Amino acid sequence: MVGLTACSGGGASAGAGDTIAIGAVHPLSGGLAGVGGMMNDGAALAVEDINEAGGIEALDGAQLELRDGDSQGSAQTGQSEAQRLISEGAVALVGTYQSDVTENVASAAERADVPMVIDVAVDDKIMEQGYENIFRIQPNASSMGQAGAETLAAMGETAGVDVEKVAYLHIEGAFGTSVSEAFTEEAEAQGIEVVSTVSYPATNFSDATTQVKQALSADPDVVVVTGYYPDNVLVAEAVQALNPDILGVFGIASGAFDDSSFPADAGAAATNVLSANYHYAATSERSQDIRERFEEKYGRPMETAAMLSYQAVEVIAAGLEESGSADPEALRDAIANTSIEDPLLAFDGPIEFDETGENKNATVIVMQSQDGEIEQVFPEEFATAELIFPARDQ
Amino acid sequence: MSATTESPRGTKLPSALPQRTHDGARRQYIYLAVGLVVLFFLPFVLPESSQPVLVRTLIYGIMAVGWNLMSGYGGMFSFGHAAFFGVGAYTDAVLLTNFGISPWIAMIIGAVFSAGVGVLIAYLCLRYKLAGSYFALATFAFAQMFLLLAQNLELVNRTEGINIPLLPEDSWAMLQFGQDSFNYYWIPLLLLAAAVAVTIAFVYSRPGRYTQAIRDDPVAAESLGIPIMKYRLITVALSCAITSIAGSYYTQYYLFVGPEQAFSMHVSTDAIVPAVIGGVGTIWGPLIGAAVVGPLSELVAAVVRNPPPFLEFLQGVSGLDVAIYAVLLIVIVVFLPKGIYGTIRERLRK
Amino acid sequence: MNRGVRVTQTSTETKEAPAAPPRLLDNRQLRIAAGLVVVVGAAVALMYLFGGQPSGLLTQSLITGVLLGGVYALVSLGLTLIFGVLGIVNFAQGAMLTMSMYIVFFLATEWGLNLYLAAALTVPVMFGFGWLVQSTVLNRVMGDSTHERPLLVTLGLSLLIINVLLMVFGGRPVSVASPVEGSINVIGALVDVPRLIAFGGALAVAVALTLILRKTTLGLAIRAVAANDVGASLVGVNVKRIYAMTFGVGATCVAVAGGLMVSFTSLVPSAGEQFTTLAFVIVVLGGLGSIPGALVGGLFIGLVQTVGSLYLPGSGSLLLVFGIFLLVLFLRPQGLFGAKS
Repeated sequence: MVGLTACSGGGASAGAGDTIAIGAVHPLSGGLAGVGGMMNDGAALAVEDINEAGGIEALDGAQLELRDGDSQGSAQTGQSEAQRLISEGAVALVGTYQSDVTENVASAAERADVPMVIDVAVDDKIMEQGYENIFRIQPNASSMGQAGAETLAAMGETAGVDVEKVAYLHIEGAFGTSVSEAFTEEAEAQGIEVVSTVSYPATNFSDATTQVKQALSADPDVVVVTGYYPDNVLVAEAVQALNPDILGVFGIASGAFDDSSFPADAGAAATNVLSANYHYAATSERSQDIRERFEEKYGRPMETAAMLSYQAVEVIAAGLEESGSADPEALRDAIANTSIEDPLLAFDGPIEFDETGENKNATVIVMQSQDGEIEQVFPEEFATAELIFPARDQ
Repeated sequence: MSATTESPRGTKLPSALPQRTHDGARRQYIYLAVGLVVLFFLPFVLPESSQPVLVRTLIYGIMAVGWNLMSGYGGMFSFGHAAFFGVGAYTDAVLLTNFGISPWIAMIIGAVFSAGVGVLIAYLCLRYKLAGSYFALATFAFAQMFLLLAQNLELVNRTEGINIPLLPEDSWAMLQFGQDSFNYYWIPLLLLAAAVAVTIAFVYSRPGRYTQAIRDDPVAAESLGIPIMKYRLITVALSCAITSIAGSYYTQYYLFVGPEQAFSMHVSTDAIVPAVIGGVGTIWGPLIGAAVVGPLSELVAAVVRNPPPFLEFLQGVSGLDVAIYAVLLIVIVVFLPKGIYGTIRERLRK
Repeated sequence: MNRGVRVTQTSTETKEAPAAPPRLLDNRQLRIAAGLVVVVGAAVALMYLFGGQPSGLLTQSLITGVLLGGVYALVSLGLTLIFGVLGIVNFAQGAMLTMSMYIVFFLATEWGLNLYLAAALTVPVMFGFGWLVQSTVLNRVMGDSTHERPLLVTLGLSLLIINVLLMVFGGRPVSVASPVEGSINVIGALVDVPRLIAFGGALAVAVALTLILRKTTLGLAIRAVAANDVGASLVGVNVKRIYAMTFGVGATCVAVAGGLMVSFTSLVPSAGEQFTTLAFVIVVLGGLGSIPGALVGGLFIGLVQTVGSLYLPGSGSLLLVFGIFLLVLFLRPQGLFGAKS
């Protein structure tokens, strides 16, 4: 029995002309299928690009192959898909968008000693399990909260506007709470007071007016928002309708405010809404080229999540080049020591992982919805348009 | 096994004679033993990658057997078995991570706890004479409240859920093995066999026959002097305990449980669908249903992933696998009114 | 067939007129409504006086709650008919809502129709859909004493609709702009105009449904089937046909709901799901098959959820909603406006 079961995962050994399988687990059906499908396409495009450029040189031009797994948005299915992909010979995994699914997929990868590169999943807790095979490219929740506060302060300073009081409106649950708590702590250090914190439910939420009014009753300068897509659209619409005397709406890790659907969806309410988030580097030519080809091929814009999936495949490919081996353990070591110099995301520097597996240089930049487009506005080095702040007519 | 003495009209009770009952039960136990032996060797013939599907199927099986006791034999249609599954899953996780208690003990504690919760819920529903859709909606509402509570309680880590820490080596005491270990299959197989054995014992016992009599005609049963509430609550307790064990094992296999995994509506339907598809109120129906439903979505997904040539255009269309699964579900429910096992058994008897 | 509480009710009240859908507010119901208004009014007054919330915020939450209640009522009206007459726990209600929103989206964007015209065209489409589902599928699983088969069929239907929408329209959020935007100010609180229109729509649908049930032969047949399907078939009513028509009318209500809600919804294939559960709460709260019950129940739940969120942040107010639901189930299972059994 031991003999039968011991060889899992390590079964793949690539030579010349072989293909190397990478498993991708995303929600391809269910409520998150839109973003899940897009992320899968992003990873597929990366595989295609790498193969066209000659495959993995260190392995005699071995070609990559992307195998899809559909988590259906459920942790249980995500884990069994991960196990299936590993036992079918995937040397590394990419995924998964949702934090709870990622927990399960990560534990499956860790137990099989197969490296996993998380493209999107925000919970701090995932990387706190002491896993050795798991890496994350994007910043985690608390670091986004912290970076959000720093950025807000710096942005106010640059624009010559005093941000003294903010109201925080966030979705209930680990994600919203940890971003908001980290923000509050850092904001105090920056001399910004969080005058009210209001949370709203993650389900059965179809009108944000009361919660926004509640947040506004403390008379803030800025309304800070953390949440997912539909709820944050509702928040923006409620702010627009209530028309308060504030400097602007500032999302941190918002699922909506830097999404290309947002300006059309929210209409006037989207005007000049700010969003601090990890984001593809619109200023990078490589990233522009990828986005153009993605849109041509799949007929829809490539959002940041899909760029992260693309980037995750690149990280694995870089690991394969460095280790010169498709053995998952060697690959794991190579990824742990890799340095991707030209990240496709607007980060502080190259992608390098610390001992817990987090990307040391992951950070947020500020986007703004201007005239129906999402523009990068802060900091200056990533700006595609000028920051408008105060973002609302006073 | 003497005839009923406390009821003067004992002859009117469901009239399986003691001797026949004994034979019937013995035959079912033999079927069970044979099935167990056959299934024991299944992992040796199936590819390694089928383990997650096998385990999931067994978990469905345990849940469906549990649900079937209360809803099939007891006639109390539960649409909230997620509550009992979740209590088992969380009891295991909390006891293990906070107190280092072995999952085997946690499983028993969870089952007792879950049975208590179930009895309380069922007592309230029955006390206020809820039946049919109303009973179903009430159990559903309880499961939803448990979901919301889990999302808000610090004890269970709110929405973050609870991770079971990985151990460096295999441990029977802590129920953790290498991911591909066959133990992960054999343990739920034995648990399922035990659950079926309990069902057989119950169905052929006097409380079991009373319960079925109550289901079929509560008014007549009551007039015969059967304490309705007592037997119904016994059934509920058994049902919830079994479902809870499925939950505890879920936590141990997946090593993570959060509010959605424990208490969402989908968990309740995971218990109902196999039982209905296989045959409600039969011993073997839930097992056959689970054997169909467990691999079904996986098989459909596999076909859609690598479709035969004439269906190639379907490849990569997201949502298709679930849509096909939904159609199959509807077709089975519509055309096999008594479920797969129930319909076949009926045909054979004619 | 067994429809829970209603069975005992119809079997014990054989001499009375059918209790479920047909009535406008009669005297007894008016008394209940008045009582409810007094209780809610008193609670609101207490909150203004001792609630510890700024009065502007409270006013806003009341108005938002009423408008949200209108949306809930809109979704629940079709369900109360389906649940009340057919006894089907229709878990596809939310998916049918999403489906009608996508049809409106398609007509508005592909054909360039005005939103409300598109909504009007969606109505016959959804009626046909509902009629087809009931006559081809659901009619086959009705009639036995158990509930799990219709329930599983509607669950499967819900999965099917959502995933077909996903295959056709993709999962990225889409939106339809409303021809009337903006909001008006009422005593210092904000009233969103599209939601106000939806609220009016809920009232209009309630009136239309009541008229259909009271004044048409179809309505008479539906009431007869609801009261006693065996009896109705004995006097020559084609029960299965009436079932199909009823489900069709229920789906029509959903179409109106979708048409009025689409402009303030970020449309994804799972957008309508969240309404299914609350719609059940509302239907049971209001009384199975009771049209005024669905209206009042919707308003009540909308208010509880919105005002409750001032005191119980996050999902706490939903706990309150389910708590109330269970209390109603236990203490008054026939609902606020249902006939007493």
